[in-house]
Amino acid sequence: MNPRRTVTLLILTAVLIGLGVAVALTVNLMPEEASRQAQMVDGLFRGLMGVATVIFLGVEGALLYAVLRFRRRRGDETDGPAVHGNNALEAIWIAIPALIVIVISFASFRVLIASGASEPQPLVVEVVGRQFVWEFRYPEADVVSSELHLPLNRQVRFAISSDDVIHSLWIPVFRVKQDATPGRVAEMVITPTRAGRYPIRCAEFCGAAHTTMTSEVVVESAEEFAAWLQAQQVAGMSGGAGQAGRQLFTQYGCSACHALADAGARGTVGPSLDGIGTTAASRVPGLDARAYIEQSILDPHAFVAEGFPSGVMPPSFGERLSQEQLRALIDYLLSQ
Amino acid sequence: MTQDAATHSGTFAAGRALGLDHLKLGTWLFLASEVMFFGGLIAAFLHYKVNSPSPQAGLLSVPLVGANTFVLLTSSFTVVQGLAAIRRGKRGGLMAYLALTILLGAAFLAGQAYEFSSLYREGVTLQSSVFGSSFFTLTGFHGMHVFTGLVWASSTLLRAARGHYSAEDHGGVEVFGLYWHFVDIVWIVLFTIIYLV
Amino acid sequence: MSAEPVAAPTSNWRRYFGWNTDHKVIGVQYMVTTFLFFLLGGLLAVLIRTELARPGQDLVDGTQFNRLFTNHGSLMIFLWIIPVLAGFGNYLIPLMIGAKDMAFPRLNALSYWLIPPAGILMIVSFFVGAADTGWTAYVPLSISAPDGQTLWALSIVLLGVSSILGGINFIATVVTMRAEGLTFGRLPLFVWGMLATALLMVVATPVLSAGLVLVAMDRIAGTLFFSVGVGGDPILWQNLFWFYSHPAVYIMVLPAMGIVSEILPVFARKPIFGYKAIAASSMAIAILGMLVWAHHMFASGMDPRLRIPYMITSMIIAVPTGVKIFSWLGTIWDGKLRFTTPMLFALGFISMFLIGGITGIFLASIPVDLHVTDTYFVVAHLHFVLFGGSVSAVYAGLYYWFPKITGRMYDERLGKAHFWMNFIGTNLAYLPMFLVGLLGMPRRVADYAPEFTSLNFLASIGAFILAISTVPFLYNAIVSWATGPKAEANPWRARTLEWQTTSPPPAHNFPVPPHVTGGPYDYGEQAPSTSLAPAPAAGK
Ligand code: HEA
Ligand code: HEA
Ligand code: HEC
Ligand code: CUA
Ligand SMILES: [Cu+2]
Repeated sequence: MNPRRTVTLLILTAVLIGLGVAVALTVNLMPEEASRQAQMVDGLFRGLMGVATVIFLGVEGALLYAVLRFRRRRGDETDGPAVHGNNALEAIWIAIPALIVIVISFASFRVLIASGASEPQPLVVEVVGRQFVWEFRYPEADVVSSELHLPLNRQVRFAISSDDVIHSLWIPVFRVKQDATPGRVAEMVITPTRAGRYPIRCAEFCGAAHTTMTSEVVVESAEEFAAWLQAQQVAGMSGGAGQAGRQLFTQYGCSACHALADAGARGTVGPSLDGIGTTAASRVPGLDARAYIEQSILDPHAFVAEGFPSGVMPPSFGERLSQEQLRALIDYLLSQ
Repeated sequence: MTQDAATHSGTFAAGRALGLDHLKLGTWLFLASEVMFFGGLIAAFLHYKVNSPSPQAGLLSVPLVGANTFVLLTSSFTVVQGLAAIRRGKRGGLMAYLALTILLGAAFLAGQAYEFSSLYREGVTLQSSVFGSSFFTLTGFHGMHVFTGLVWASSTLLRAARGHYSAEDHGGVEVFGLYWHFVDIVWIVLFTIIYLV
Repeated sequence: MSAEPVAAPTSNWRRYFGWNTDHKVIGVQYMVTTFLFFLLGGLLAVLIRTELARPGQDLVDGTQFNRLFTNHGSLMIFLWIIPVLAGFGNYLIPLMIGAKDMAFPRLNALSYWLIPPAGILMIVSFFVGAADTGWTAYVPLSISAPDGQTLWALSIVLLGVSSILGGINFIATVVTMRAEGLTFGRLPLFVWGMLATALLMVVATPVLSAGLVLVAMDRIAGTLFFSVGVGGDPILWQNLFWFYSHPAVYIMVLPAMGIVSEILPVFARKPIFGYKAIAASSMAIAILGMLVWAHHMFASGMDPRLRIPYMITSMIIAVPTGVKIFSWLGTIWDGKLRFTTPMLFALGFISMFLIGGITGIFLASIPVDLHVTDTYFVVAHLHFVLFGGSVSAVYAGLYYWFPKITGRMYDERLGKAHFWMNFIGTNLAYLPMFLVGLLGMPRRVADYAPEFTSLNFLASIGAFILAISTVPFLYNAIVSWATGPKAEANPWRARTLEWQTTSPPPAHNFPVPPHVTGGPYDYGEQAPSTSLAPAPAAGK
């Protein structure tokens, strides 16, 4: 190769790498970073973006250059040079990508190991996925909730499973995802680093209302978290009928699918339950309001509210609610 | 398909390379895909054998199926003998050995039917456990392959009876033989993983 | 025997509608039938994009939406891209290797005739409650899905059988029926690609069939393979499914890469750069491709240590794929490029497949995948490799061999319009999906948070442009086939064998058995412009 071309090539390579570094340092395509793991994943992602930029611009640039530079002159019917290959060049373009992917694999491996590293005194949260609600259990405090609360800067070890089909717990701001597979318990580790309220998504397709299988995570200080746990415990044990019913309504995820002003619920999968206390009596002849609501919860497919799909509301609430809880929930709905 | 082979010979490439004609190569490839199909079912069986062991597995009768295995192995031997006969140009020998093969294959299927029905009587069914599901699916699919082999053997026998095949032209018998040996070998693998280990 | 080429009875269009064992007829049957399924799959995609153009659920309800993407994916994969490429293989392989027909012509016809019933099954399933569990049909969800799921499984099994038989035929043909002098070192690269593909068809497809048998048994016979309570294991299905479906993505792209390797040298007027490396890379991709399937299951909860080897094998596939990309650049470098429609689509393939390929590396990196798996990032990746990649190559091939197949020229102006709409539409439709996936939008949802509106809207506009772009193509194909100017035998002055016979080729392809004396891409060499001569004995 003549020296001028070598110099041009070197300059171009340097420019490309410069651009890659610039992209890696400045471009951010991710949502907020709210966990220790997110910082590591984003670091890796930025590195990949840098590498991708170099490869992308290099290949597309060469392609564009060739398209502009080597177009056939009008009337030229001859063939191009009979070049069949170049062993040195081919060896280079095998070796360099091989090197790059080895480095990427190694970096990914490091992040993978580091993001699972255990920290002292982790908080254990059991997660159960169900069509189409999440349930979060705090075994140490004996609390169950459909909303996830986590203390700041304390490692959380999730034990994730499912009651029916496969779901996947995804908290985008934490950059983690773990399938909830029936018959298995999977672990996921996270250390929240930023207070706030963030979305939780079910990412694995799980049936008719997969779209609405969402929840929220609240990251708060250790004190606020302790207070929340305490409040949940109290609500679970006593409180007025209305208080307990409202609590159950959100805790068991009814709020994910039904709107109910009193509970601040805005779900749209199922019918709105505002005023259900009065409409319930007129739904099925022969069933009074109480009997109808009970049937709707225990055997939701027996009568399907008009305009709503059958087979969406889970039929499993009867097994999960105790007698008292069921009564409290029905009382609460009757009062609406 | 032997006719295709004939029309393709002549001036165009004769359909012969690596010492294989395309019919035999095609058969080998088909058997490769069959191996992978059974591989999938075997993987399922082994997965459950290891991860969800069932007491029902103890109800299998090794002596009965061992005898049945011997019957099937013998039938592979008769196919080899039949092929040897036609190689020497003896169509009568081929037909006798094919008939014997069919008999042995049918005996194997009868043995399997007997095994299935006694298991069903003891409560091992397709729906009784993952063991039952994977056992009957795997051995059932093998049984269906044996049955296909019987049909194939019968039609080969029929063609022989009509005067087909000779010392020079017996590709059809060879291809059937490949299939039959394959079915046999699969059974040996199944016998080992289901009944012996 | 007369050396005069027998003009193929083009007027007799009826032969395309019945049982016929001529590989050229079968090839066309494949292409036309599967294109109809592509239009149907595209129609479903347009419905999906219409629903997703704005937040809120206004067009379809949740279950209908699930049926849309399930059948969109299934049609596109199993009834469009895999069989259309097999159609190219059928049409081209015997021509390219100088054979009269495939090794097993009747088996070949059977492979084709399994496709229409399979397609009809899938369409009929819409009337009994179509499959609605995604093209991946994960258990246990798919066990309790409506009856259409059983028809779906049956349809896929039929298509699998078709694919296996096709694969057997391709290998047997290439190995045993090459013309005299056509050594493996002179095989056109499309044939190499098909050979690697056929290998995967034969080895990987049966495993999917086995898996589908288990699902069907659970649904029909009440077996317990995937009943969790009594020891059934959902992960088993994922392993069986991906053991086939990852290799399948190379079934969907290796022939497409072969098409690109045929087109670039012709319109660059240069030999292909690094012939051996490209041929070898097809084989390497096929073999490596068998060892990466679990990269679709990084979030499934499998043993973390087991994930590492799959990550590494997935990444290594970048190396043989890179060999192809760089060799293609080497081919056009210093050439005399002619920007015909097929050339544009081939260049479009390179530029868009690259985006899909590089993002594949992101997905293979486990920590990144754990964030983006099951999001629109994956949807974007798969459409860049499959639509920007494979479908571009299919269009390139359809234009390139149009004169050969129909004996008529297509209209360049319409072809170029098609290319530009397709190129712009693809990027507009799928680039925003990367972003929206990174930001937090999962796949397979009928509704999304308001902050994703503008990106989704852009994607929908792109999809509509893609839909419109099929109009010039269809018009061009139909009108040119009927009334286009007659094509010469070799309008592109190409050197591969299929161009050395008439357009369209006669019943047995060549007037005399060809005798090959040189490589397929010897452009710029002193040798005569054709690389074959009649075998001495069979001359006039
Ligand atoms: C034609 C089809 C096709 C092709 C060719 C590919 C190619 C690749 N794919 Fe893709 N993939 C799909 C179709 C395809 N994929 C589909 C359909 C899905 C979704 C399935 C579903 O869930 O519905 C999927 C999903 C998918 C996943 C799972 C994502 C998830 O669900 O979480 C992963 C993970 O590893 C992956 C990786 C890769 C890799 C590493 C390649 C590699 O082969 C790419 C290699 C190419 C390049 C890298 C570019 C060229 C190389 C160079 C220029 C050299 C230099 C480059 C480097 C050094 C990086 N793909
Ligand atoms: C080769 C494969 C292939 C191809 C070509 C396409 C093509 C397209 N795909 Fe597809 N897609 C998949 C394979 C493919 N897709 C797969 C495997 C999935 C995953 C499925 C799953 O999750 O299970 C998927 C999922 C998928 C989704 C995600 C759905 C979800 O997760 O919720 C979306 C969303 O935008 C989408 C869009 C499109 C669009 C706009 C096109 C466009 O490019 C289409 C362009 C073509 C047309 C628009 C045809 C136009 C013609 C007409 C409109 C006229 C019709 C007339 C008659 C029928 C007479 N696809
Ligand atoms: C995944 C979504 C979902 C969840 C979770 C859910 N429901 Fe429903 N619900 C529905 C749908 C859809 C309907 C209408 C179809 C039907 O009647 O089955 C419905 C119907 C009802 C009805 C009858 C309403 C009427 O107007 O007739 C009542 C009452 C009800 N649900 C109560 C509850 C309670 C209490 C809970 C929680 C313990 C709950 N639902 C959880 C989806 C859900
Ligand atoms: Cu649960 Cu999707
Ligand atoms: Cu893959």
